[in-house]
Amino acid sequence: MKNRLRVLRAEREWSQADLAERLEVSRQSVNAIETGKYDPSLPLAFKLARLFETTIEAIFSDEK
Amino acid sequence: MECTTNNPAARRYYRRLLVTLLLYAASLAVAIVVFIHFRPTGVLAYALAVLPALPLIGMLAVFGLYLDEEKDEFQRFIGVQAMLWGIGGTLVVTTIWGFLESFVHLRHLDPILVFPIFWVSMGISIPILLARYK
Repeated sequence: MKNRLRVLRAEREWSQADLAERLEVSRQSVNAIETGKYDPSLPLAFKLARLFETTIEAIFSDEK
Repeated sequence: MECTTNNPAARRYYRRLLVTLLLYAASLAVAIVVFIHFRPTGVLAYALAVLPALPLIGMLAVFGLYLDEEKDEFQRFIGVQAMLWGIGGTLVVTTIWGFLESFVHLRHLDPILVFPIFWVSMGISIPILLARYK
């Protein structure tokens, strides 16, 4: 699944470790989600959306 | 699963794992000493023979607890995948070994080795899995 995490993170000048700390997950997890290799669960997707003050659809898209 | 110690669930896992390993070493030592010096029979012999297996079974429970307590869903995912690889690796090794035993009379695989084969297969899979999701 494609996502805009890298862009959203860059806008806030957060490193992967910064985002991981805010999400209470490991940096590996953030990297796996950001690179599209791991799709987060709905609760984690909601957490991301709340953190970036946007909607899940604005972060993730199911286009190939 | 994460190998660093800044994860509370992983820290608890490694602590509990150490306890099970120490219990295993102690129970194995007790079983060996009692069998050599007292030659127990009947129910006591069976109970003592099974004793060292209990901490090893506990290792599975400890890993189950880790999966239950781990808040990071990606790490849980890696843990479950590693367990599946562990089971798969064990089935592959024991199946191939079984046929080798049947057809080319390879030395009999002691069932006591099945458990280490599982953990080794699982251990090998973790860095591979983590590299896959890098």
